[in-house]
Amino acid sequence: MAGAATWTTVSYGQKPSMPVIGYLCPESPELFGSRLEAFRQGLEEAGFVEGRNVAIDFQWANGQYSRLPALAAELVARNVDLIVAPGGAPVALAAKATGTTKTIVFEMGGDPVQLRVVDSLSRPGGNITGVSSLSVDVSPKRLELMRDLLPTATRLAVVANPTSPTAPSQLQKLQAAAEALRVQLQIYSASKEDEFESVFAAVARDGPGGVVFTSDPYFAFRSRRLAALAMKYQLPAITQTRDFPVAGGLMSYGGDFMQSHHRAGIYAGRILSGEKPSDLPVQLVTKVELVVNLKAAKLLGHPFSAAVIAGADEVIE
Amino acid sequence: MIPQDRFRGLFHKYLLALFVAVAIPLAFNGVIEAWFGYRDQRARLDQWLSLQSASAAAEIHDFIHGITSQLGWLVQLPWSDEFDERRRTDALRLLRQAPAIVSLTLLDGNGLERLYISRIGLNRIESRTDRSADPALVGARAAQIWFSDVSYNRGSEPYLTVGIAGNRPAVGAVIAEVNLKLIWDVISAIKVGRTGSAFVLDRSGRLIAHPDISLVLRGAEEATSKPFRAVRDAIGSKAGFATSRDAQGHYVAASAAPVQGPDWTVVVVQPLSEAYAPIYSALWRTAMLLAISTMLAGILAYALAHRMTEPIKLLEEGTERIGAGSFDHRISIHTGDEFQRLANSFNRMASELALAQQHQERIAKLKRFLAPQVADLVDRAGDDSVLDGRRTEVVVVFCDLRGFTAFSAGAAPEDVMSVLSEYYESLGRVIAKFEATLINFSGDGLMVLVNAPVPVEEPALRAIDLAVDMQTNVQALIAGWRSRGYHVGFGIGLASGPATVGRIGYEDRLDYTAIGSVVNLAARLCASAADKEILIDAKVAADVKGRRPVEDLGGREIKGFDEAIPVFGISFDALSPSGRGMSGTIR
Repeated sequence: MAGAATWTTVSYGQKPSMPVIGYLCPESPELFGSRLEAFRQGLEEAGFVEGRNVAIDFQWANGQYSRLPALAAELVARNVDLIVAPGGAPVALAAKATGTTKTIVFEMGGDPVQLRVVDSLSRPGGNITGVSSLSVDVSPKRLELMRDLLPTATRLAVVANPTSPTAPSQLQKLQAAAEALRVQLQIYSASKEDEFESVFAAVARDGPGGVVFTSDPYFAFRSRRLAALAMKYQLPAITQTRDFPVAGGLMSYGGDFMQSHHRAGIYAGRILSGEKPSDLPVQLVTKVELVVNLKAAKLLGHPFSAAVIAGADEVIE
Repeated sequence: MIPQDRFRGLFHKYLLALFVAVAIPLAFNGVIEAWFGYRDQRARLDQWLSLQSASAAAEIHDFIHGITSQLGWLVQLPWSDEFDERRRTDALRLLRQAPAIVSLTLLDGNGLERLYISRIGLNRIESRTDRSADPALVGARAAQIWFSDVSYNRGSEPYLTVGIAGNRPAVGAVIAEVNLKLIWDVISAIKVGRTGSAFVLDRSGRLIAHPDISLVLRGAEEATSKPFRAVRDAIGSKAGFATSRDAQGHYVAASAAPVQGPDWTVVVVQPLSEAYAPIYSALWRTAMLLAISTMLAGILAYALAHRMTEPIKLLEEGTERIGAGSFDHRISIHTGDEFQRLANSFNRMASELALAQQHQERIAKLKRFLAPQVADLVDRAGDDSVLDGRRTEVVVVFCDLRGFTAFSAGAAPEDVMSVLSEYYESLGRVIAKFEATLINFSGDGLMVLVNAPVPVEEPALRAIDLAVDMQTNVQALIAGWRSRGYHVGFGIGLASGPATVGRIGYEDRLDYTAIGSVVNLAARLCASAADKEILIDAKVAADVKGRRPVEDLGGREIKGFDEAIPVFGISFDALSPSGRGMSGTIR
C-alpha cells in the first residue's frame, strides 16, 4: 500500500453520525472531474450534499486498474456506509469481489447481467445495483458508423483492451457485425497508454482504413491522447465517449456518461435514505449519443454523409 | 343558609337557560355550516382532481401523439423499387428528434422490410424480409395507428410498439419501438397539489409510468403493479374521485382519466391528508368559532344571569335586614326596571315600618300611665297629641297607707314587699277598671287622675266610685294583714278642679302629670284622711250630690291652705261595692 493515492475529504468537525460514501475511482481526480460533478449533482437531488450531511471517502486508482481490488478492500476496511463503484465493469467487479455486505452502487458501460454483477435488471438481488450506459452494447454500431464513413474499405481495425472483462463479448459482437457489414476486422490490443502509439503506427502500416475502439473506460479516459494520435497518423477513428471528438477526434457513439453518473448519484442518495438496493432496478441510460467532428473529417478527407450528420446529436465544426 | 341556596339555584337556572338560548342556535348554525362546507369542498376536490387527471392524461397523450405524428412523416411517399437514401436520412433525423424511439422499421406497400434503423443494433437496408404478417402491420393497416401491449425489454424497461400505416397502401407503413421509460420526464413533471403525483397503467393494469422510475423498471412484476391497480379499481367507472391506499398504505384521493390510443389509464393521486386539508381546516375553523362563541355565550350568560340575580340578591338581603329590624336600611337598585320598582316598594315599606315602630314605641310608653283601654284608643287614633300640655278640669285622687312607715321599719323586707305587691296589684286592677290615669306612685302613696288625658263623662262620680272600690279592696287586704299582725290603714283624698296636664320628663323618661292647686288639695285631703276614710272637696261633693251619700264633715284646716276648707266624706261602708258598675263610659 506504499504511496497509496488515497485522498479523503473527511475532515475534522464533521458530525459523527454523518454517513460516509466510499468512492472507488479507477482514474485520477483530474480525469474524473466531469463524472464526479454529475455524481454529486445526482446525490444532491436525492438530498445529500458532501460535507453537509454526507462525507465521501475517495480512493483513486489513477489508471492502475490492477490496484482496484486493494483499494476496494481498503474502503471495506474503513467500514464506509456505501461503496460507489463508477467508471466501468472492473471497478464494479473489484467492489463486488470484496464480499462486503455494504451496498454497492456501480456505474458501467457493460451489461451487468452478463458480467454476473447482478441477477437481473429489474431485480438486481443482493446488495448491489447501479446504472449501465449501454456503451458496450453499442460497439457494433461504432463499426457500422465507420463502415458508413468508409464504404469502400475491406478491412477495419478494432482496438481492444485485453484486461477488460467485457473485451471478449465485445469482440464477439463485432465479429458478427463485421460479417453482416461484409468487412474484415483486424484486432489490436492495448492495455497501457504507452502502447497506443504503436497500435496507431501498426494500423497505419497494415492498411485498414479506420479504427474502431471497443468500449473501455481506460480508453475513454484517455480520449485526448487517442485523438492526438489519430490525427497524427491521419486515421479515422471512433470511440465510445464524446471526449474524443471534443478533443479533435473524428466521432464517438456511446451512452451519455453524464446521465449515467448522475443517476448513480441519485441511487446512492436513495440508498443513504434507507431504500434497499434490491428494490432499485438497474437503470440503463436512455440516451446514446453520436458526436461528430466536421473539422477532423475535413482534415482526414472523409466527409460525413448527410444521413450521419442528420442523426448526430452533436456536430463539432 | 337556605335563602343563599335558593339564590344559587336561581343563578344556575338563569345561567343554564341563557347559555342554552345562545349556544344551541350557534351550535346548530355551526354544524349546518360545516356540513355544507364539507359538501362544497368535496365537490371542489372532485372537480379539481378530475381536472388534474384529465390534464395528466392529455400530457401522456401528447407524448404518444408527438411520437405518432412524427412517425407519420415517414409514411408520406410511395415506395419505388430502388432505395431512396433520403428515407434513411429522415429516419436518422427522426431518431434524433424523438429520443424515446429505439428503432424504426419502414415497410413498403407489399409488407417488405425496406429499412431498419436502431440505436443499439445494426441498421438494415433493403433486407426485403416479408413482414406482412406482423401484427403491427396488420393492425396499422386496419386502424391506421396501432399500439401493441406493453412489453418489457430484458424484463425491465417498458416498451411499446407503434405501427402506422399511410393513407394509401403504396406509401407503406412504419413500425417503431418506443421506450416508455422516457414518459418519466412527463410523469415526473406532473404535480398534483403539493405532494400528489400521477402514474400510468396499461390496459391490463401494469405500471408503465411513475415518478419513481425504479418502480417502473421492475417490469411486469405483479407485486409492484398490484397496489396501483387497486387504486385504479377503487375509482372504477363511477364519477368522481375515490379514496384508496397507495403502496405504502397511506390513504389517497385518486381520480383517473383514459389515454386514447394505447388504451391506458392515467391516475392522479393526492394524499388524503393534503386533499382533505381544506375540509379539515374549514371544520377546524368552524369548531374553533363554535368553541369561541360557546365561550362568549357562557360569559354572556354569566353576565346576564349575574345582572338578573344581583338585584334579587340585593332585594333578598334588604328584606332580610328589614325583617331583622333595620328599618333604616334602604335597598339600592338602579336598573330602571321592575327590580328598581320593587326595591322602591321595599324601601317605602321599610320607612313605613319604621314609622309604625316609632308609633308602637310611643304607645308602649303611653301604656305606662294610661289605662290599657285608653292607651289602645290613643293607639288607634294614631295620635298622641292628646298628651300635649293643656289646662282642663280634672279629678285628682290620692291614696296611701296609714302606719306603713312604722310597719316597714319593723317588718322584714320581704314582708314589706309582699304587702306592697298585694296592695298595688289590687289598686292597679281598680284603676284599670275605672279607666283612670295613673300618674305616679312612691312608697305606699299613689296619684290617679280622672278626666285626663282622655275626658270621661261624670268624672267626679267615677272618681268617687273608684275611691270607694279602692277602699273596699284595700280594706279587704288590710283585714288579711291584720290577721298576720300588720297594723296599717288606708285613706283616700279627692279633689276636683282645673289643672295643667301634659307630658313632663326627658327622652325615654316621660311622665304624664297634672299641676295645679287641685293636686295639692287632693294630696292634703289624703294626708288628713284617716283609715277607711275618703275625703272629698266641695266641688266633687257638689257634683255627686244626691247620687252618692256624701257627708259634710265641716271646715278643716288643711296644710298649705290659709283658710279652713269645707271637707266632705263618703262612708264607703254605706256603699255596697258589689252590684254597681261604672256609671260613665269613656268617650
